[in-house]
Amino acid sequence: MARAAKSALVLCMDVGFSMSNSPPGEEPPFDQAKKVIQKFVQRQVFSESKDEMALVLFGTDATKNPLDQDGQYQHITVRRQLMAPDFELLEEIENHVRPESQQTDCIFSLVAVGLFIQVKKYDRLNIVLLTDLSTQVSSDNLDVIIGNLGKLGITLQFFFPFPMEEEEHNEEGGGGDGDGDRRGSSRPGVGKGLSREQKQGLEMVRDIMLSLDEDEGLDQVYTFSEAIEQLFMFKHIERRPMAWPCQLTIGSSLSIRIVGYKAVTDEKLKKMWITVDAQTSKRDDVKRETVYCLDDDNETEVQKDDTIQGFRYGSDIVPFSKVDQEQMKYKHDGKCFAVLGFTKHDSIHRHLFMGSQTIKMFAPKDDEHAGVALSALIQALDKLNMVAIVRYAYDRRCNPQVGAAFPCIKQTYECLVYVQLPFMEDLRQFSFPSLENKKFTPSESQLAAVDSLIDSMMLVEEDENGQKEDMYKVHEIPNPAFQRLFQCLHHRAVNPGTPLPTMEQWLKDALERPSAISERCQAPLEEMKRKFPLKAVEKKKELKTGAQIFGKGSAEPDAKKSKVDEEEEEFNLAKISEGNVTSVGSVDPARDFRSLINQKSLPFGEVCQQLTHRIEQLLSNRSTHYYMKCITCIQTFREQSVKLGNADLYNSYLQSLKKSIPNSGLQVFWDLLVQGMISLFIGEEKKEVETEPAVDDAGDVDDLVSVCLNSSALKYLMFVS
Amino acid sequence: MAEWNAFYQNEEADEEQEEGEESAVNYKVTGRDSLVFLVDASKEMFIKGEDGEPSNFDITMQCVRSVYTSKIISSHRDLVALVFYGTEKSKNPRNSFKHVYVYHDLDEPGAKRVQDVEALRGERGARLAADTMGSGEVSLGDALWCCSNLYSDIKLRLSHKRLMIFTCMDQPHGGDSTKDRQARTKAGDLKETGVVIDLMHLMKPGGFDVSLFFCDIVSPPEDESELGLQVEPCGKLDDLQKRVQAKQQKKRAMARVNLCLGEGMNVAVGVYANAVTARKPSAIRLYRETNEPVHSKTRTFHTQTGSLLLPSETRKAQVYGNRQIVMEKDEVDTIKKFYDPEIFLIGFKPMEKLKLHHHIRPSVLLYPEEQQVTGSSCVFAALLKKCTEKKVFAVCRYTPRRNYPPRFVALVPQREEVDESNVQVTPPGFNAIFLPFADDIRKLDTPQFPTASDVQVDKMKEIITKMRFKYRSDAFENPVIQQHYRNLEALALDMLAPESIEDFIMPKVEQIDRRLGPLVDEFKELVYPASYNPDSKPAAKRKTADAGGGDEKKPKVEIPEAELRAHIKNGTLGKLTVPVLKEACKQFGIRTTGTKKQELMDALIAQMAK
Repeated sequence: MARAAKSALVLCMDVGFSMSNSPPGEEPPFDQAKKVIQKFVQRQVFSESKDEMALVLFGTDATKNPLDQDGQYQHITVRRQLMAPDFELLEEIENHVRPESQQTDCIFSLVAVGLFIQVKKYDRLNIVLLTDLSTQVSSDNLDVIIGNLGKLGITLQFFFPFPMEEEEHNEEGGGGDGDGDRRGSSRPGVGKGLSREQKQGLEMVRDIMLSLDEDEGLDQVYTFSEAIEQLFMFKHIERRPMAWPCQLTIGSSLSIRIVGYKAVTDEKLKKMWITVDAQTSKRDDVKRETVYCLDDDNETEVQKDDTIQGFRYGSDIVPFSKVDQEQMKYKHDGKCFAVLGFTKHDSIHRHLFMGSQTIKMFAPKDDEHAGVALSALIQALDKLNMVAIVRYAYDRRCNPQVGAAFPCIKQTYECLVYVQLPFMEDLRQFSFPSLENKKFTPSESQLAAVDSLIDSMMLVEEDENGQKEDMYKVHEIPNPAFQRLFQCLHHRAVNPGTPLPTMEQWLKDALERPSAISERCQAPLEEMKRKFPLKAVEKKKELKTGAQIFGKGSAEPDAKKSKVDEEEEEFNLAKISEGNVTSVGSVDPARDFRSLINQKSLPFGEVCQQLTHRIEQLLSNRSTHYYMKCITCIQTFREQSVKLGNADLYNSYLQSLKKSIPNSGLQVFWDLLVQGMISLFIGEEKKEVETEPAVDDAGDVDDLVSVCLNSSALKYLMFVS
Repeated sequence: MAEWNAFYQNEEADEEQEEGEESAVNYKVTGRDSLVFLVDASKEMFIKGEDGEPSNFDITMQCVRSVYTSKIISSHRDLVALVFYGTEKSKNPRNSFKHVYVYHDLDEPGAKRVQDVEALRGERGARLAADTMGSGEVSLGDALWCCSNLYSDIKLRLSHKRLMIFTCMDQPHGGDSTKDRQARTKAGDLKETGVVIDLMHLMKPGGFDVSLFFCDIVSPPEDESELGLQVEPCGKLDDLQKRVQAKQQKKRAMARVNLCLGEGMNVAVGVYANAVTARKPSAIRLYRETNEPVHSKTRTFHTQTGSLLLPSETRKAQVYGNRQIVMEKDEVDTIKKFYDPEIFLIGFKPMEKLKLHHHIRPSVLLYPEEQQVTGSSCVFAALLKKCTEKKVFAVCRYTPRRNYPPRFVALVPQREEVDESNVQVTPPGFNAIFLPFADDIRKLDTPQFPTASDVQVDKMKEIITKMRFKYRSDAFENPVIQQHYRNLEALALDMLAPESIEDFIMPKVEQIDRRLGPLVDEFKELVYPASYNPDSKPAAKRKTADAGGGDEKKPKVEIPEAELRAHIKNGTLGKLTVPVLKEACKQFGIRTTGTKKQELMDALIAQMAK
């Protein structure tokens, strides 16, 4: 077997100081870049790509790389060596890639990366750089860099927060096409104009890319937002086509060498669900066993070895051992693609195609004579409007089929398309009552209504150039079952213990009628409703589902889901402005927390847990910037708890936080928190309303949760503990 | 025939609905279908046609035999009976009816019965029939009464009851009005109990006049003004078989869903399979000592404690990126749920947009269900008509069941077609062609070759023209299944060797060679240089399909444990080949039943994690 081509990819992300700067209201380039990387790694994980991946950060405070000597190559950290991407890498990105405060010359750093990756092991090495180019770059060694990259066969890809073409359009003096203008105004980051360093950096990137690949070099430069758009879906399943070499035979002496490839097939996921023990989540703890029982009253068990196999022949059961079966079964000569005869194309009905695939047959790559012979057959079939009926057998172990080989002539290639046809035994020749029945015959006006409905719902239309435009290409939609499964698996892997997210909006949209059609067909549809009276016949019994039989328990997911749906409609506006929040993220945890509470799709406790988890994460960074974020979180936590009248979770969290302060060295944070809030624990407000006397003695820490406190007592407490 | 059917369908549909309700509770307890062949055994049936054509009786027996065997293959649980009337001798349960001979009472068809019917075929069969039964007086009324007793003797629940009368006599009682009336009454009784009576009338000199008597016997068409269209009697076995086949196969909808054209516009349709790949039936296990069937029970238990695990005590998991991701079972179901079962209309496209090679699974047929939503048939008929006229198909999103992800289908209109004798060959309806998603389409490198010259193409055209034939979808039997049943038949009937089968999908090489003659060499001269041999293997590749013999050649591929662990750690296990993985499994004593790469990998990872 041929060795699989190895390729490797190094993700280089600039985490330096400038990346976290952004004009108010815009997402900082750092966050965008991180998203790009996360989405990309996710895709690789779920497509089970064998490509290896490394992660290198530029502009880190620390330095960790193999070339770290004599103060050279500083502020470059190799976060992960080249290896297959997995969830560990995703977690590392989530938790450990954060804005830092140094700057490096990114282009120069690239060279370093090129040096410490062992290029030779891989057939292809691709380096991806995500940066805002805000650092001074030196063009001193540019030629050397380009030379080295070219020599090592490394390809580059750049991702910037702003489009590359922007400058060009400016130079063209407003002559840019509509596309450019649209881009310029809608892309974030462009408005503020580029700094001198950025312009200079761009210039260098242009030089590098053009000298590596003159024609298409600049195609490998993307913006962050472009990348996010393209990465929003999980990767299609890609299977390497397997060649099936064979000979097409006509009679005993005419054969043409061919190679078949599956072209279209009902693709299934490779992985199946395995059963694990609910408590330990271990597969080995669960064992399945099949036993055989006699049909007597005691259901006497018999050993598997004491059973033989048999088959039913009508009312008779015929014992038929495996050996005998093998001996007597239909046998054939193996691999075969033999023409039985030729027939008119229109005698093959599309609705009687069988099997789950179509196979395209070409001549072998290196065999021109076979190519010509096959071409003669394809051309002749096409001109006569005929097809070949063939016997097809994949190999000796597989059952032979009967099928049709259609000629297929495309601009760039010719081939035969093979589809399986039915055997007599497969056919279900049902007859149905004719619809040409007085009772059902539609009237002229009814037909006219259908006519206009069809016209209003045509998905293929000619544009002004006479080009037919198909606005709904099913074969370009990714299988929603896979997308949804990956989305849920990913969610569960990254956020264990939280409920599954709702379906992503883009996927929902992709499966719906295009909005242009929905609008256009409104009137004809109303007309249809008027013209055709439809009345559902009352059913005596509704379909009983397991849920109804077994009570509420199993019905819950459904009910929950529909509830979520309702909520979604209600909070549509909020959703548009905030995006689809499914968990408390790290960017703006307070906002996420608030909208999750509003959505009510998750239990309150759940959301609180997510928030506190996030706070702990942020606090572990020990930086003032994060402290402020955490304080906002805690304030929001408090505010929402008060609103919902559920203070227990908040109070107990704060309690535990406070206890942990001395050990974790977060005194600074705690001080800030105390300063920033009027009152810490919920219950203090009550004091103002109620006239109960305040508890003076606050010595007992455990009482804090439920007992009203005045703030001075609290401060006192803080220092005591 | 259309009108006749209209009535049958309604009846069936009603029954089906009842059944559907029951099946919601327990799918397996639907009733059995039953079919009674009531065959005229009077002298006229045994008269041979001119030029030695087989007699009507002979044709009927061939037909009965083929139904028996096809029932055995397709639906062995159905009950079938064979009853003769107009016989000399009588044989029926209580021997209360004269001239009625119950050859087989209602039961599952088996090998013995096939043999019995086989014995009644041909010259010898006619003699046997004369000896055992003889021909005598005809009383259809008694015969029908006897049949109704057969039905009532059955303790099983019958879901579908059908009776087929085979005769060439349009006036069986020769004008005896008492007997005629008696027969009518009995037929009426039968119909009341839900039995559908069909007439398979056979050739008779002077023509068979249905209106003389039988129109009152058979289940009447709904609309009295239009008498059954199928007035032509059957003369040929083929025809008869086709008619019987069409009647005896009971339609079962795979699903009943709404075709939703838009908000509030739901048309009820039934979804029927056009064709289903027939497979060898699965084996059943028998107890070695007694040959009695055993049933299997599967249980799940905890390896450590040995206690049985309830479904609620297990969860489902998948491994991605070195991490096991665990979900509840109902979560796994929820993930699959997108929409409630429906066919939702997205829009229309011109027919040429339907690509031939976009095929992923056999299509299904949609037909309106007036019983669910009244008015459905009218909308459906209008859509069918307009789509045909405008040469468009409908693109729809199809969710066949709850917790089932959607697929897109192209609804291609199909108008009804009937043959010369008014038998429906193509039913009206929309064929739903399943469309592939992006994941289903594979990218191929397409090699480029020079196209053939006109001379070359013309020579191939000659070859093609010589090998033209008329394709019929029912022309090819599956040799694998046929052989399997012949084997069973031989074993069941203690035959020395199974009947040989004809492999219809084998090219008739000699015939082809003879037809093509010198054309093959002429074509080869045009396309292949003298030195070229298309039959030579490009390189001596070992045949992987060949079992045995290759074992000693396989190199031992062992892999050190450390390396294996490294692969698992780095998630690069997939880079190893299957033989290497298998070897590794052996090495660590892992018993694997699977041969798939993923299974091997999972097993190894599980072992190493211990």
